[in-house]
Amino acid sequence: MSEIAVMNGNFAAATAARLARPEVIAAYPITPQTPVVEYLTQFAAEGNLGSKMSEVESEHSAMSILSGASMAGARCYTATSSQGLALMYEPYFRASTLRLPIVMNIVNREMISPQSVWGGPQDSLTLRDAGWLQIYVEDNQEILDTTIQAFRIAEDQRVLLPINVCYDGFYLSHMTERVEVPTQAQVDGFLPPYIAKHQILDPARPMAIDPLTSGYLVMEYRKKHMAAQAAALGVLAEVDREYESLTGRSWGGAIASYRMEDAEYAVVTMGSVTGACREMIDEKRSRGIRVGLVKIRCLRPFPREAVMRALSTVKGFGVIDRNVSFGWNHGIVYQEVKAALYGADRIVPSVPFIGGLGGEDITMDLVSTACDTMIEAVDAGKTIHEAVWLWSPRKGVKL
Amino acid sequence: MNEAEKEYISPVGEGLYSANTGDWRTQKPEIDQETCSRCGTCLIYCPTSSVRRADGRFIINLSFCKGCGVCAAECPNGCIAMTREAKR
Amino acid sequence: MNALDLLAEREDMISPGISACVGCNVELTLRIVMKVLGPNTVLAIPPGCMGGVGVVGWNKRSGAKVPVFFPLLDNTASMLAGIRLAYDAKGKDANIVAFAGDGATVDAGFQALSGVAERGDRIIYICYDNEGYMNTGYQRSSSTSKGSWTSTTPVSKDGHGGKRQNGKDFPMIMAMHDIPYVATASPAYVPDLIRKVEEAMKVRDGLAYIHVYNPCLTGWGIRAEESISVARLAVKTRYFPLYEARRREFRITVPVPKPLPIENFTSRIKKFSHLGPEAIADLGKLAEDRYAFLQSLCRGKDNNA
Ligand code: SF4
Ligand code: SF4
Repeated sequence: MSEIAVMNGNFAAATAARLARPEVIAAYPITPQTPVVEYLTQFAAEGNLGSKMSEVESEHSAMSILSGASMAGARCYTATSSQGLALMYEPYFRASTLRLPIVMNIVNREMISPQSVWGGPQDSLTLRDAGWLQIYVEDNQEILDTTIQAFRIAEDQRVLLPINVCYDGFYLSHMTERVEVPTQAQVDGFLPPYIAKHQILDPARPMAIDPLTSGYLVMEYRKKHMAAQAAALGVLAEVDREYESLTGRSWGGAIASYRMEDAEYAVVTMGSVTGACREMIDEKRSRGIRVGLVKIRCLRPFPREAVMRALSTVKGFGVIDRNVSFGWNHGIVYQEVKAALYGADRIVPSVPFIGGLGGEDITMDLVSTACDTMIEAVDAGKTIHEAVWLWSPRKGVKL
Repeated sequence: MNEAEKEYISPVGEGLYSANTGDWRTQKPEIDQETCSRCGTCLIYCPTSSVRRADGRFIINLSFCKGCGVCAAECPNGCIAMTREAKR
Repeated sequence: MNALDLLAEREDMISPGISACVGCNVELTLRIVMKVLGPNTVLAIPPGCMGGVGVVGWNKRSGAKVPVFFPLLDNTASMLAGIRLAYDAKGKDANIVAFAGDGATVDAGFQALSGVAERGDRIIYICYDNEGYMNTGYQRSSSTSKGSWTSTTPVSKDGHGGKRQNGKDFPMIMAMHDIPYVATASPAYVPDLIRKVEEAMKVRDGLAYIHVYNPCLTGWGIRAEESISVARLAVKTRYFPLYEARRREFRITVPVPKPLPIENFTSRIKKFSHLGPEAIADLGKLAEDRYAFLQSLCRGKDNNA
């Protein structure tokens, strides 16, 4: 039987990785991901993890080692944050274009400058077009469940792409919650060993990986890569259903809606701010305001149709971003949602919000105000194009 | 189907790619078997592996020979002559 | 097996037609190395001359008969370490080998290589040092000799310029990582090269590093047929001594008791042609200093000549 434990988000990620039995792990410590590396080395020291592990000298080498290992057919796992991810960019992009199904948790942390070690998904969102699958989760149970599922999705022969399961630094990584942990036997049944068929470094089957390649073939490979991204949506849903039958828990696939059935307004969120928003929705509902919530789980591939469907019946919506898209004056998720609605029958008013940068709290008050601001604009039939900033005034600081 | 037209989802190559480097030659080596001492120095230093040993004799396969003249320069007996390649 | 028999009898593991320059001694080195390593080898060729000339292949074709791939310029050693871990996890074994230029080794790839050396990942790393970024038209690297003309250390019409710094003594830097095997080698000393590759294949407990000095015909300005003789002169003038080291146990494998004057080497190379006698003498002095240092590391061995 599965076991109930109390653990922080980093322990949940490390536990999921342990249960998935990766053959190779290479990770470099960085705040707030560091405990993931420590937990994994501790599991190994106690004989509870059989992976070959490398204590690398940088994140660049972590991703490079896993790329080599994956090209040799191994199941691979790592985790990182912010500057580590930035350092990794070169082999990161390449892992996806080589179609290497590596699983990596990203413990989201603000990008510097200014110097900051606190939460915010700017790190991974900035790399949303590097070809990886990216899923953002809300609590520690979801970290554990989704990280286990990530191996299935990435290694599926219809997908064969690397995947990030992203969670907020500190809010989730260092906060303890109740988590149900499936048994090793359950996970083994759910997750068969990875067999690399599309490419393999093996003297028994000599092949070149990544020879010099002409533009027309680059286009062929990109098109197939995009098709695999699209296929991942179906696989994600399938894997979610199967996991539910195993554990009783479903996370809804690419998006998760809350109280959207008869909603007139919607608030769109991603990551741990969803928890506060859900409470806020309950409070509004208790006062007869018909507002619901759409949580984006899968950012890559972007669930265009699901988002369009969820938002096509409301009068308007707002998006809360904990990141910025420089040059747009709003957040990245807002931009994505707007793009998804281009094909909708009706274009409804919307409001972008930015808050919670650098680990700054997004309080119930702030999300409640955001909701009111959104409803007011929507009722006036007005879209606000530049982000409304959510922040609590501080003495002597001007925004 | 030609190996090279195989469908791959990622950039992979199977089957050998060869440039026709024999076409580059402006001069070609010729071993004088009379004076050759069968030392094999030419085989050791030929950058393209064009020198072969057969029945103790050393012969040059010109298919990929680039005509660099290294064999002639290294032969301790001066028995490899480089001659102008006829225009192709 | 002696060198000639080995080279005559073993299968060439590289495509017969690769577009290396006419007379290129790196092509020679690669073919020799691969004949020694044989088919049970995974080969990494980072961006550089050998990648550029087609050893990794071209459009769904391979340039080699063994598994071969392009690592990035700066992560060759790490990618190979990953392959080794995967092989260990699966209970498989093969030679896991890099054949990398000096740019991918002493410059951009140094961090990854140093990391592998320290961790003791079991790979064979062969650097072909042609003193610069030759594939892109000869830009300087940190391995380029002092005084060299390169496209990024140009020489003025009145003969001033060239690189201002000495190249790193890179094999020595690798030896100071206390790895199980380090060697220098030359395409002009083939039996020595072959033996060193065989030694590298025997290493079970970490990195084996071989640094091959490959004078570049096109970039340095050397006549094609002098490809081997200039490489030989680098050794005979003590400019590039041939030695090996096992965790600080040093041994000169080709002693040079009576070195030839440095001019014998430099006068054959156009990239030094603007240098006056003083600058040439400096190169000779550097060679003598490095050789003396190497001898001092050999601690009373009989090859202190
Ligand atoms: S000319 Fe050059 S390529 Fe041709 S056989 Fe002689 S050494 Fe080899
Ligand atoms: S190097 Fe000269 S003497 Fe030696 S085998 Fe070749 S041709 Fe004959």
